[in-house]
Amino acid sequence: MDEVRKQHRLVNAKEPNLVQDIYPYSLPPLIRFEGPVVEYIDGKAVEFDFGAVKDRDILISDTTFRDGQQARPPYTIDQMVHIYDLMSRLGGPNGVLRQTEFFLYTKNDRETLERCRALGHKYPECTGWIRALKGDFRLVKEAGLKETGVLTSCSDYHIFQKLRFRSRAECMDSYCQVVEAAFDAGVRPRCHLEDLTRADINGFVLPFIDRLMEMSSQVPEELSVKIRLCDTMGFGISYPGAELPRSIPKLIYKLNRECGVPSDRLEWHGHNDFHKVHANAATAWLYGCDVVNATLFGFGERTGNPPLEGAVFEYIALKRDLCGIDTMAIAELADYMRSIGLPIPENYPFVGRSFNTTRAGIHADGLRRDEQIYNIFDTEKLLGRPPRVAITDKSGADGVAHWLNEFFGLKGDNRINKIKVHKLARWVIDQYDKEGRLTAISDQELEAKVRELLPEYWEKYKSSQK
Amino acid sequence: MATVEERVKAITARVLKLNPDEIKPEHSFTADLGAESVQSIELVAMFEEEFGIEMDEDAALSVETVGKAVEFITEVCGEQGVEAEQ
Repeated sequence: MDEVRKQHRLVNAKEPNLVQDIYPYSLPPLIRFEGPVVEYIDGKAVEFDFGAVKDRDILISDTTFRDGQQARPPYTIDQMVHIYDLMSRLGGPNGVLRQTEFFLYTKNDRETLERCRALGHKYPECTGWIRALKGDFRLVKEAGLKETGVLTSCSDYHIFQKLRFRSRAECMDSYCQVVEAAFDAGVRPRCHLEDLTRADINGFVLPFIDRLMEMSSQVPEELSVKIRLCDTMGFGISYPGAELPRSIPKLIYKLNRECGVPSDRLEWHGHNDFHKVHANAATAWLYGCDVVNATLFGFGERTGNPPLEGAVFEYIALKRDLCGIDTMAIAELADYMRSIGLPIPENYPFVGRSFNTTRAGIHADGLRRDEQIYNIFDTEKLLGRPPRVAITDKSGADGVAHWLNEFFGLKGDNRINKIKVHKLARWVIDQYDKEGRLTAISDQELEAKVRELLPEYWEKYKSSQK
Repeated sequence: MATVEERVKAITARVLKLNPDEIKPEHSFTADLGAESVQSIELVAMFEEEFGIEMDEDAALSVETVGKAVEFITEVCGEQGVEAEQ
């Protein structure tokens, strides 16, 4: 390895460098790249320009009503229509959230689709999801959809063990007949390469894609096959140098550049079995797959899918712009999901009740001095959720003061300092030291104590809010 | 009228539950007298109340010893026109 050690001189600044070209606070932290990334594929160095993602037409697609619903009791029609409506607001007029897919098998499935479309939103476009059966295209056609997902499982676990084909050739012929049927029905097939990260890439996947590309060349562009790369078991790996079939960079390279599937016809669909789901999806974007498939709050089969809200913030970070996205809809969606019984963990990023709540007094002190110290971005502006402190024995007077200022809505010089809240801070400490309390103190309890112990502030600030 | 030092010692003794005679100017509030975080806040609040002054929060909390507190409070009293026996 080359000698790289060198001396580094202190830049003795008198003013802070808050790195605001990366952390503008009004947006999520921006993602910038320098130079190309190199991946060795089949012994050859291949360059990828991640920086190009800023100008590529990357998108998000949604499967909340399909994969997302497989993991929970069914939504009612009204619930799905409301969620669809909010998703449309979230994705904005540019259609960053471009598509969402629906089951088509039951009367309720079809009525849901009909009512969502009746809202008249341009985005997300409604697509279908069917089995790889020729007869199912009648459902797609009758529903008036232009595109549908089709299961084309590609690992031998599925080909032989699950679907019981006698050979790969028989399997491929069967899939291609279904694709042909889609063309005949005037429906664009989106082939879902189930279990791709356990498949024989060179022996089955690439020949299958070659054949699909050949078939697509015979039909109008709007019918040409799209490919969904399904990491069904969450085995995908983002690291450079990883081997196929687990390497996401290599999978995308092979399909995109060797088989010639354009980036806008490639879609990544991941699962979270190894806690890699969001990073893997973002990796797919960077290596040339334009569409990331996601579900609201990551709900999906087993451990779930790429969380839609995570993809949204990643999108903004990569594009360095909101691009018409209404991030406030994320908070509304979370509130709505909670109201219909979907559990969202307290510490879940962006929407959990405590996602930006600090419990440590020393962090509360930081928040008191400048909320940017311990808040990831302007969560009040983007999500309607200012940073908060939860009051426990670890909160200290700083935490209590921060809570009180938030409670009264005081900003800047109007904020009450911690000296003035000493009675409340003492009461909090005594709850733990003298009363042996083991739980956090609720807002309601604190509110009552503010009235009792700090009546002058209650009178001054709470009366004026009435 | 008691001096600033006597008043500071009396409040310190009351908040930290100590004998005022045992409190020396060189004593550190935290290391020697055992003031915990919230007690430091209470001390500053009690000093403000006792002397009828407003102290800058960060400056007041950075005072480490009893003697320095006497000097600081005397200075603030002077600035804010509050009479205090030296």
